[in-house]
Amino acid sequence: MKKNIYQPIKARIEQVIPETSLIKTFVLKPESEFSFTTGQFVELSIPGVGEAPFTPSSDPAIKERIEVTIMKAGRITGLLHEMQVGDTLGLRGPYGKGYPLDKFKGKDILIVGGGVGLAPLRSLLFSLFSRIQDYKSVILRYGARTPNDIVYKEALPQWGTKDKVNALVTVDVGSPEWQGNVGLVTTVLADLGIDAPSVQAIVCGPPIMMKFVNLKLLDIGIKPENIYLSMEKSMSCGLGKCGHCRVGKYYACKDGPVFTYEQLKDIHDIWD
Amino acid sequence: METYFLNNEDIPKFYGAITEVYDLYVPVKIESSVAPACQSSFRLPTADYLLKNYALLDKKENAVFNDYRCVEPTRVFFTYFKEEVCSYFTDKAAQEQVDGRPKAICGVKNCDIFALRIQDYVFLNAGEEDPLYARRRQNTLVISGDCPSFKETCFCQAFDIPAYPAQGFDLNLSPLTHGYLLDVDSDKGRAIVKSLKDKLSPATFGQLSGRSAKRESVRMRLDEHLIQHKIPKKEALQDIVLSGYASPVWQEQMRTCVECGGCVFMCDTCHCFLLSEEHENGLNKKMRTWDGCLFKDFTRVAGGANPLKMRYMRLRNRYLKKFDFFISNLGFQACCGCGRCIEVCPGKIDIRYILRRLYEEKYLPAH
Ligand code: SF4
Ligand code: SF4
Ligand code: FES
Repeated sequence: MKKNIYQPIKARIEQVIPETSLIKTFVLKPESEFSFTTGQFVELSIPGVGEAPFTPSSDPAIKERIEVTIMKAGRITGLLHEMQVGDTLGLRGPYGKGYPLDKFKGKDILIVGGGVGLAPLRSLLFSLFSRIQDYKSVILRYGARTPNDIVYKEALPQWGTKDKVNALVTVDVGSPEWQGNVGLVTTVLADLGIDAPSVQAIVCGPPIMMKFVNLKLLDIGIKPENIYLSMEKSMSCGLGKCGHCRVGKYYACKDGPVFTYEQLKDIHDIWD
Repeated sequence: METYFLNNEDIPKFYGAITEVYDLYVPVKIESSVAPACQSSFRLPTADYLLKNYALLDKKENAVFNDYRCVEPTRVFFTYFKEEVCSYFTDKAAQEQVDGRPKAICGVKNCDIFALRIQDYVFLNAGEEDPLYARRRQNTLVISGDCPSFKETCFCQAFDIPAYPAQGFDLNLSPLTHGYLLDVDSDKGRAIVKSLKDKLSPATFGQLSGRSAKRESVRMRLDEHLIQHKIPKKEALQDIVLSGYASPVWQEQMRTCVECGGCVFMCDTCHCFLLSEEHENGLNKKMRTWDGCLFKDFTRVAGGANPLKMRYMRLRNRYLKKFDFFISNLGFQACCGCGRCIEVCPGKIDIRYILRRLYEEKYLPAH
């Protein structure tokens, strides 16, 4: 019998890691090996209850497990937050196109994340770290609203100490204990000492943040075809059929979810 | 393709041969009293046709040849309004979904056949076939027919879609005075013809010429009827919906939209759906329900953001999908000119008028 495109496989929750008061990372063990390329997304379902799309935050080289970092934002994510170790979720995918790692070779890679938008970027970082010799440098700029909203608090400081990697975290609003940078992520994008015309910039975060980061990146001379934006669209099928995720002449679930600004620049109201 | 002649009195036998294998759906006429206006002063028909199961008809003679498309979009035979697309994670054996006997649909028109190309593109997309759609599409016998007449709202021809099918059917009926020409264009169709052999004669040159003359006469009358609507050519569609992004027409026209969803549900080229989950009798089910971009939450994301907040944005979205997205990806528009959306809309929103406005705003700005 032919494979049913809507059929999920089982994925058992092995571990739940609290990141912030609203964000948790779920470590899932799929019933069979599950491959994805960084930037692709999956559909997770609570059997018989609901389904939603997420981009894995784990290293694509690991096929036995996938990790998904989820912010409580609506009905399904709220229910997911109540799931426990041992529970079973449905998993379909992967869908969409990942980041074009081949195009990044030999270049400075600038990664700009906001809030829970660091999740898909973590998966990208793992991919980049594993072949760091292929890239000129990796620069990470991560912004969170407050120090309490920072995800991957343990791993983050280590990333910056790696060879060829430069990482900086900033918060919009500091706290008495916060020693780091305070200010919007757009304020830490100047004077990066990089060759702007060849820089590959990857942005993921809330739409308003992406909008302003994108403007800033264009401003410092990064080319529209070298800016990769993760578009958050309402998705249902992930298969290019249900029609929910249209962005101009594209479907985010097929042609995205990552688009270059070059692809999007003539489409109206992309940030709404 | 082979073409035969079938006498009027043998039509019941034709139906009979089909019902041997298929559940046959046939057009049944329903009268309506609303006389449509036409500036070209044609007396346009007021009746409608509904598709009914032939076996369940009280009077078999109520099965008629429809002069124009039926009320229902043809896609109702291939995806259902709400249905299970898979059940999963259960020890119970998933019920094998059976549709019963295959269906035969009589009364399909060329607009419907054009629309099926859109549905096929969406649901049969290489490698990612929707299993239910694929099975139904494969098993269903499509019996189309020429249109000897048209409704006020028909505008297929404005997009160069003729009012008679040339391909995309299993069997096609072209009415002549004493019977029908029967085109056969598939093995499924041939199987039916085989069982009717003694009732069929090869089409004569005279019959074929008669058909051509009838088709030409409908073409001329429909052209004349369409003049008043000034519908832009299909080549202009993508351009005008893109350049008309900021047109006042969206705001103006959405005022009477009550978000009933009639336009999207009656549309034969609309295909959007929503997947949802249900738990019933120990089974986890994924359900697929028809959805439409005129509804408020169509593009709402988990955090609450919604790019199509306003009604006018959703109205515009429908046109961008049909005339930009599809033309870019498939090479033709997702509108077959069937006029079902015009007929159903309680707000009297008329796609012919909107397209004309977009065209005139771009090319005749003096208006
Ligand atoms: S049929 Fe008319 S009123 Fe109903 S949703 Fe469509 S445009 Fe709005
Ligand atoms: S948009 Fe209207 S006229 Fe065009 S295919 Fe759909 S229902 Fe028919
Ligand atoms: S999510 Fe269904 S078409 Fe993209």
